[in-house]
Amino acid sequence: MERPVRIAAVMLILALIVEGLSLCWNTAASFLSFMIFGGIPFVGGVLIYVYSVFSGQPASRSTKLRP
Amino acid sequence: MVSPQSLLFILIGASIALILPFLVRPGIAVSREGKILAFAAFFILPVLAASIGASEHFERSKQTRFCLSCHIMAPWGKSLYVDDLSHLPAAHFQNHRIPVDVACYTCHSDYAMYGTLSTKLEGLHHVYVNYFGTPMNPIRLYHPYDNAACLHCHLGARSFESDPLHVAIMADLKGNKLSCLSSGCHDKAHDVAALDQQKFWTPTD
Repeated sequence: MERPVRIAAVMLILALIVEGLSLCWNTAASFLSFMIFGGIPFVGGVLIYVYSVFSGQPASRSTKLRP
Repeated sequence: MVSPQSLLFILIGASIALILPFLVRPGIAVSREGKILAFAAFFILPVLAASIGASEHFERSKQTRFCLSCHIMAPWGKSLYVDDLSHLPAAHFQNHRIPVDVACYTCHSDYAMYGTLSTKLEGLHHVYVNYFGTPMNPIRLYHPYDNAACLHCHLGARSFESDPLHVAIMADLKGNKLSCLSSGCHDKAHDVAALDQQKFWTPTD
């Protein structure tokens, strides 16, 4: 559970930083940066997070912790 | 008042601030509350920020400055400042007959149904070819210029419709059988090959 969450966090933070930086300019290069260098880590981060949710590990762990 | 762009930056900052605790202590995503917070941090806020960011980028891509940010387009941008109003784009640009901040988009967009989408897709293709392909040399339009772009503004205008020549050929103009840019009509459009022989207008701020 911890590793996918960390990877997703890093990828999403990277994507959001790229998005923020790309908005500082209005050029075709900044648009392309947003699409490629922001889009790839964004999609990757969200997919890894969704995978970690549906992989079942968190649910089983939390069930065990219940009395 | 806070601008939409500032709100977007705040949203991006809030998203990063919510994700950071999960980077430091990923174990907090195990509890019920942690899962709800993780869903907001890893899905809702980033998707919202990315959607608004994409919308902002697409909106900005209409701007003249955006089109001219590629070096290959510089001569076309320069042709807007030719000091000869028989040059069609220069006359429109310099006299503010079109919004100067979205000049390229105004004359080169498709006003038909789904026209915005097709124009954006063509724009994406321009960006792709400029960075990853081989641009045309010299640059030319993918399709012959559509009169609909001219008629979108001029149709119904008194000066246009009261011209006997326009009235005589109106059906051909509407049907794209005769181009507005035909030789002898409005044929001086972005004459970039002859730019070095032109004088240029300098706007006063």
